[in-house]
Amino acid sequence: MARRRRWSLTKAASWTFSVVALAGIAGLAALFAVQSLPVWKHAGWGFLTGREWFFRESLFGAAPMIYGTLVVAAVALALAAPVGIGAAVFTSEFLPRRWRLAVKLAIELLAGVPSVVYGLLGILLLRNWVYDALEPFEPLSGDTLLTAGVLLAVMLLPTVMTLAEDALRGVPGAQRAAARGLGLTATETVLHVTLPQAAPGILAAVLLSLGRALGEMIAVFLVVGRQDNQWPAPVHSVRPLLEAGQTLSSKLGGAEINIAYGDPLHWAAMAGLALVLLLLVTTLTLLGARLRRTDHAT
Amino acid sequence: MHVIRLGAAVAAGWLAVAPGFAAGPLKINGSTTVNPPVAEAAELLRAEKGLKIQVDTQGGSSGGISMLAEGMVQLGMSSKHVSAADRSKFPACDFREIHIGEDAVAMIVSRDVWEGGVRALSREQLAGIYEGRIRNWKDVGGPDRRIAFFNKEPGRGTWEVFVHWLYGDAKKAPSVSFPEVGGNEEARNKVASTRGAMSQLSSSWADGKRVFALGLKRDGRVIGPSSENIASGAYPMSRPLFVLTCGEPQGEAKTMIDFLVGERGQALVKKHGYLTLAELKNPEAARDAGR
Repeated sequence: MARRRRWSLTKAASWTFSVVALAGIAGLAALFAVQSLPVWKHAGWGFLTGREWFFRESLFGAAPMIYGTLVVAAVALALAAPVGIGAAVFTSEFLPRRWRLAVKLAIELLAGVPSVVYGLLGILLLRNWVYDALEPFEPLSGDTLLTAGVLLAVMLLPTVMTLAEDALRGVPGAQRAAARGLGLTATETVLHVTLPQAAPGILAAVLLSLGRALGEMIAVFLVVGRQDNQWPAPVHSVRPLLEAGQTLSSKLGGAEINIAYGDPLHWAAMAGLALVLLLLVTTLTLLGARLRRTDHAT
Repeated sequence: MHVIRLGAAVAAGWLAVAPGFAAGPLKINGSTTVNPPVAEAAELLRAEKGLKIQVDTQGGSSGGISMLAEGMVQLGMSSKHVSAADRSKFPACDFREIHIGEDAVAMIVSRDVWEGGVRALSREQLAGIYEGRIRNWKDVGGPDRRIAFFNKEPGRGTWEVFVHWLYGDAKKAPSVSFPEVGGNEEARNKVASTRGAMSQLSSSWADGKRVFALGLKRDGRVIGPSSENIASGAYPMSRPLFVLTCGEPQGEAKTMIDFLVGERGQALVKKHGYLTLAELKNPEAARDAGR
């Protein structure tokens, strides 16, 4: 009997590449951590909790941007998740196979549209729709956190849908057959068998999309208003959604980075924002990837 | 930052020792205001002399200054002077400003404000709006509507001219938080599509169809950003337009600069609504040329 080879070339190569990828992420995080050191020394945890960002006065508080990022992502998910999962259930469980592939292909094409295209659509259409539709609430302009969230939802929809669909297709057909055999209707099968089985995968789909949502720059940049220091006065109200705001990525994409360059503290503050964003996105992506790997009962 | 500095230094070293490596395209970056005549000049030089030129507008004037100083581009475009702070931030670059024309910053408003009767503002009124003491157009003789002020990003030439006039120095400008706009295109679109909107914009971009340039009230007179008023210095928010180099311009950068200050380049400056160097020296000519 041939000796079992512990190390094949494939295995070695995949290890190497995994290590390179990991080192890349760790290296990035380390780079931003080192570069942002001055701002942590300057502001401490106040960098995360501070609500004022006035660089000419050396005030660096990232809280409004973290808030803006989370609000925009939450709005996007609240809209994209139900619709995306619903569409996934429909295509996966109810559409004939040939149609399913056609629809999935179309959706995946949508997922590949560059974000700047969505951003321009946002400027051309969505800004004005939101502005006109919400006229009774007197938004100051069409650039609001809500606009950014809705635009992001449109962008995330294909990702949520296609990943959730994969999760649903991952549930073995035998389970469905058994459920139908026990007399459950098609709807009951979906609600009580397929969806619960696919739940970890669907959650993973949502988390992976959320990771993308947090980091999305150009489209959000164009419609979020980029107003610093926005903090919601009444927390239990939708009013703050109709104000302009700033997200971590829209701040990083703006012209301020050019001013920061060459000023160690200001630059450190910008690097600190990048670090926070990187950690947020990485955490969510890792969480999502982990859930996606969960095995199904067979 | 050290890593980037080091990288830039290594890259600069390469450029110095390997002339063949430097024969890539002539790269230009900076102000969206200076961009139109430069981009068109690049177009002509490409067609006529086969030069390879890339023109970009990342980060406006401050983007032009920092990318030039870091050796990422060979020419910067700026609608403001290179400040002492910039010079001390980038000691390796011996900044040269080449004056190619003159422009004014106009305060632009949306149609409803213009038609509601606001045609000019005084300096005190502008400061009041910028500091958030005046929040409704009815307080300055306009319609009863909130003022939606879009602030140009700090570091943009337009913004610096604005606060320089109001406060004497960009460093003395109060800390405010408004929704921000970047390039001229974005400022114009957002003001045009928002009721009660106002922003600062290069006067040549104020088309008088979708956005309208306000006059400035000074000693009981209303002064608009006309060529004549800019050339004579009567309109206070005017500013020079520059292309920038580190040290003496050389090679293709020099070709571009010679073209811009030459007759055809100046014609492009005029075509895009800016004042030419000749008009600047001779306000009479600007008046005759009209706008």
